[in-house]
Amino acid sequence: MSARRWAVALGLLALALPFVLEGNRFLAFVYSIVMIHLIWANGMNLLYGYVGLMPLMFAGVAGVAAYAMIYLTRSHEWSFWLAAPMASLGASLFGVLLGLPSLRLTGFYFTLCSLVIQTVITLAFVFFPTFTNGDTGINQIAPPQAPWGGALSGVWMDETLAIVAVLSVLLCGWIVSTRLGKRFMAIREDDVLAEVLGIDVVRDRIIAFFIVSMFASIGGCLFAVTIGFISPRSFDVLTSLNIWLFVAFGGRGTLIGPIIGTIVLAPIPYLLQELQGFKDVLSGVLIIVVTLLMPGGVWGELLRWRDRRRARRALAVGQT
Amino acid sequence: MSLLQVNGLVRRFGGVVALRDVELTMEAGETLGMIGPNGSGKTTFVNIVSGHLASDAGTMLFDGESITGASPHQLAARGLTRTYQAVRVFSGLSVARNIETASLLRRDARAGAGAGAGRADGATVDELAEWLRLDRLMGKPAGSLTLFEQRRLELLMRLAQRPRLIMLDEPVGGLALTEVREMIELLAQLKARCSLFVIEHTMRVIRELADRVVVLMAGEKIADGAPDEVLRDKRVVEQYLGTVHA
Repeated sequence: MSARRWAVALGLLALALPFVLEGNRFLAFVYSIVMIHLIWANGMNLLYGYVGLMPLMFAGVAGVAAYAMIYLTRSHEWSFWLAAPMASLGASLFGVLLGLPSLRLTGFYFTLCSLVIQTVITLAFVFFPTFTNGDTGINQIAPPQAPWGGALSGVWMDETLAIVAVLSVLLCGWIVSTRLGKRFMAIREDDVLAEVLGIDVVRDRIIAFFIVSMFASIGGCLFAVTIGFISPRSFDVLTSLNIWLFVAFGGRGTLIGPIIGTIVLAPIPYLLQELQGFKDVLSGVLIIVVTLLMPGGVWGELLRWRDRRRARRALAVGQT
Repeated sequence: MSLLQVNGLVRRFGGVVALRDVELTMEAGETLGMIGPNGSGKTTFVNIVSGHLASDAGTMLFDGESITGASPHQLAARGLTRTYQAVRVFSGLSVARNIETASLLRRDARAGAGAGAGRADGATVDELAEWLRLDRLMGKPAGSLTLFEQRRLELLMRLAQRPRLIMLDEPVGGLALTEVREMIELLAQLKARCSLFVIEHTMRVIRELADRVVVLMAGEKIADGAPDEVLRDKRVVEQYLGTVHA
């Protein structure tokens, strides 16, 4: 089967699964969590995998959008379908503004700077209870309105998440194939050389960061209405690191890698609910294993192994 | 009007003066060589002109327009580009992708056909690849090429942008003797396509390529003229060549 057919089959499967899992509320819930994290992982992959920056304030931006969306729907009685895009736009612009100084930095320095920004955002969530209800968090977040009236819930909520997740994969694939995506990869490989070849590195990083913040924000709004409860802990640095791990584990800079990473890792905390301590240990161990043993991630290492085998074969053919 | 005009360029690193009031003009079509001992400020000069480093004083004009404080990507759009002493390609990407990336910004695509007239003779990327003998390496990762192949790829990536001036920082550095010979031949052919500014320690490169030579010594220009004259100049021989060719 060609890659395109595989992609179509996978997409259709993702859209069909909510109906298959309808009978089992627990599995359906886990599935919806995976879909939200898939949106996030695609955003993270765009910046970490294709531009080469590791944004640890990712969850923070998602949180700003989620809180803004709740504020707009509760205090101004906006519809979710208007509030979520507007809140996402606002949070993304806010994220770009905060990130502006750091976007001149590269690699490790950017990561450190983003960690500081994430910490500040988390503190802001705690210290501005007017909007966030502080550490207590906000519960009973109303689900979005259904087009046919009433609240969107159950299988149709899950289907909405699946649609947005599939769209996020398609969008990511499309961006990567454009001239902008090629500039991103040039910046990832060598930002100094990219600049000499006429690429406005800082401008392109800002564009990338804005797009990525939109992925984070929309995921954040959907997360809030799916779970029905958010607190500053929902959007702390561990959340950012988790999403980063999905991308790094699956294979950064590939379209399939983050999908693999999310499907394998996102359900773990929910499937191991009785072993709460264990899941943090597992995350830690996985981060070490990925960094030391599979820098390319599962999919990246697989591709590398295939290339090596091909090269060996070509060599063998050449020798005979 | 000169292609490049640099006036009173000064750069200090802490207490060290790396460049002291350097003046330099370069005409279109000219190949200018810059020589001088290690630490005399040659690379600093290129870093400043190509927008990698800010100067402490001085002005720069490219084609009559001020480029003081311009960033490298703005200079690339105007047709001023450079290579590095240590070869620099996107080693993780294939040769074809490297060239494609360089072609994302093609000056004539933005400025209209008129801007390219009289310089780049309309050679396509395919022709350039054949000329630089890279056409069979397109699918390989750039990092797996030999140094000489990477140097040629570097040149091709610059030429794909149809530049007006390429600043080459030690183009034959690290190459084997036979490769140096070939590189000089390639650069000699390149002179017909665009203006070159060459930093070199290998006198053969300067002697065979340069129309004019500038000598830097401890951040100061001590000689400027035809290669024959400059390479015989008493000060240059005593302070630089004498020590190298002893």
